[in-house]
Amino acid sequence: MSIQKTLILSLLCLIGTAFAQTNHTNSETPSEQKEEFNPSETIVHHILDTHDWHLTDIPGKDENGNRIYHPVALHLPWFFYDQGFHFASGTEALLEKGYVPYHDHLYKLKPGVSTEEIHIAHGQVEHFDPETMADSDAHVIDLSVTKASLQMMIVGLLLLWVFISIAKAYQKRDGQAPKGIQSLFEPIILFVRDDIAKEYLGEKADKYTPYLLSLFFFIWFSNMFGLLPINSNIMGNISVTGALAVLSFILVQANGSKDYWRHIIAMPGVPVAIVPLMTIIEIISLFVKPFALAIRLFANISAGHFMILSLVSLIFIMGKNGESVGGALGIMPITVLFTLAIFSLEMIVAIIQAYIFTLLTAVFIGMARETHDDHH
Amino acid sequence: MENIGLIGAGIGAGLAAVGAGIGIGRLTASAVESIARQPEMTGDIRGAMILMAAFIEGVALFGEVICLLAVFQ
Repeated sequence: MSIQKTLILSLLCLIGTAFAQTNHTNSETPSEQKEEFNPSETIVHHILDTHDWHLTDIPGKDENGNRIYHPVALHLPWFFYDQGFHFASGTEALLEKGYVPYHDHLYKLKPGVSTEEIHIAHGQVEHFDPETMADSDAHVIDLSVTKASLQMMIVGLLLLWVFISIAKAYQKRDGQAPKGIQSLFEPIILFVRDDIAKEYLGEKADKYTPYLLSLFFFIWFSNMFGLLPINSNIMGNISVTGALAVLSFILVQANGSKDYWRHIIAMPGVPVAIVPLMTIIEIISLFVKPFALAIRLFANISAGHFMILSLVSLIFIMGKNGESVGGALGIMPITVLFTLAIFSLEMIVAIIQAYIFTLLTAVFIGMARETHDDHH
Repeated sequence: MENIGLIGAGIGAGLAAVGAGIGIGRLTASAVESIARQPEMTGDIRGAMILMAAFIEGVALFGEVICLLAVFQ
């Protein structure tokens, strides 16, 4: 029970820090309220990784009585490398150091350009031209914890909590029927072990089962978190899926048998004239496999988010940015129904993509470990 | 004329989806037929079906990525 209390407490803390951060950064009013609604920009903004964890907007009035929205966001600190490691808590602290955050990229300010020239409204840099105002000689490496990486840590902690408690339950209840969260996950763990690992890796499966289980549950949990409001879609981020694919690629190559490498370098049993061609094809397919793994997961998850956000954008398009209430009300039932349907589909896709990624990793390891007796 | 690349990307994305649709459709048809003939092999057939569907989808995704490159170049 105490773990649940800790989780709730940490959630409250997160919300608390978010509000604490908002109070001093949003003293100025947003100026882009009159702008035309741009669906593709809004969608891309929602899908991309950012340094601000935008939670919600609070409606309010400015001094002229116009309706404005105060964004409630968690502003993540900046951590970067430029001839030494630097740390800055926000936009103001960054500007003091001579760096400008613009469109989620970090630029070093050119000597001679004063910070007065960069118009700042509610913590956002508005007038900045990277071509003329940034120091092109500086190589700033941004190492900040962004929205997606913070989300990934939260998912990781949740996974640790869930699976350590399951492991403890197995120790304590040895020989008894599973109980609670243990019985919820037991069939899934057994499915990954028996239907993925043992099926394709044979008797050596136990060596790879921990990796396959981590992969499966990390992808599944991340995808499910991505479907929740406020949360970031981790797997809709090509660097995350790319890193997972690289891990699988290294594991496959490290377990390659002698036969596996012989089939790549010089395919036995084919005419000598075709061997160089086969080698080229095999080397290409070596790298295509992890690339396809990364792209498949990334594209499937992003496509789902794209569809949901496009459907929601339809309300704003038909409503003509608040002018036509009838249009917005007319399209709303259709949007709600379709979004509901796609959400259900996305929940299935979340587990199917986790399954496919894990399955293909197991298949590739199995193929690499295989020893051939026949020469074909 | 400058939007002709966008038209190409749109047609390309559509063709990639058509190809994947035909491929996965034929695959699924055969798999379901095999399951109907030999229900005791359901597990193996399903595993092979999902694996091959993933490969077909992978080829389609390459097409989509190239179309995306054409749009964002």
